Amino acid sequence: MNVMTVLSVGFIVGGLFFFATATIGLLRFPDFFTRLHATGKGDTLAVTLSLVGLACYEGFTLTGVKIVCIAVFMFLAQPTATHAISRAGIKSGLQYWRRKEAQK
Amino acid sequence: MTTFLLGIGLILCFLVLLVLYRVVFGPGVFNRVAAISAIGTKTLIILLIMGFLYNRVEMFIDISMVYALLNFIGCIAAAKYLEMEK
Amino acid sequence: MVFRKDDIIVNTISRILIPFIQLYALYVIMHGHYSPGGGFQGGVILGASLVLLLLTRGYDETRLKIPENSMKLFASAGVLIYAGVGLLCLFFLGNFLDYSKLAVLLHVDPAQARSLGILAVEIGVGFAVMAVMYSIFLDISTGGVLAEDEEEE
Repeated sequence: MNVMTVLSVGFIVGGLFFFATATIGLLRFPDFFTRLHATGKGDTLAVTLSLVGLACYEGFTLTGVKIVCIAVFMFLAQPTATHAISRAGIKSGLQYWRRKEAQK
Repeated sequence: MTTFLLGIGLILCFLVLLVLYRVVFGPGVFNRVAAISAIGTKTLIILLIMGFLYNRVEMFIDISMVYALLNFIGCIAAAKYLEMEK
Repeated sequence: MVFRKDDIIVNTISRILIPFIQLYALYVIMHGHYSPGGGFQGGVILGASLVLLLLTRGYDETRLKIPENSMKLFASAGVLIYAGVGLLCLFFLGNFLDYSKLAVLLHVDPAQARSLGILAVEIGVGFAVMAVMYSIFLDISTGGVLAEDEEEE
């Protein structure tokens, strides 16, 4: 087994783990802003790890460098989109979730 | 390696079906926009894995890059429209 | 009217990313014969980058840099390039859009002339699609009232 193959398998499994936890968070959290925490941070890290793993599998060719370029773009653009949508949510006046409501 | 990538792709498809619940039943429009952005991110990885399975990675990289661009621009346009709703 | 978005994070990231998006759109136009892409897809990405500029800067600032009249020129220039290449092939005793007859003009063999002719046509299509997408977005967002008509009232 090659060193690069083992490394790429490790990165891709790590990316899949963070995808799974982000999806479970999106389904189970009680409020819109908490769900944005889960999908904004978890999805960005998972995409970066998965793309780095796929680039390790491909090697140092033109295709591998293009995959790293996609990863850099997603790392810059995904948190900006999360920030924009959460700012729209605050300006529209959504209700926050309070802990006292759950204990009724 | 191809069997491993095929398994990863199938698990990601199952995760997309789970997020679809939030698109249909999310109370309000903000939850739906956030869930659509999450689906777009997972689709990007599924496209690249399909490129590796068919042994033609050069074709699928350009498509996935364009999808990442359009996902970003769509999310910002939706946020700007929803901000002026009030 | 599309007002300026008063958000400093989105404005800064858009300023950094828009030139790279346009560079990628030009790459997609040029590599149409080898990978998925071509004239129409590259034109759409160029139009999307201009729409992002409108969303983050607002209508008043962008109108100074990219006025509507220049977009009319771009659309017409795109169609002119497409039909012009076709008519140029007619002058050299070929059919309409028969690029192999351009080999005399460019001093290459006929197969290479076909490839270069298709590239020229794709560039024309890219110009036209970019201009039309920008114009459609402006039409729908301003309600069909151009700035010149507003100043006359």
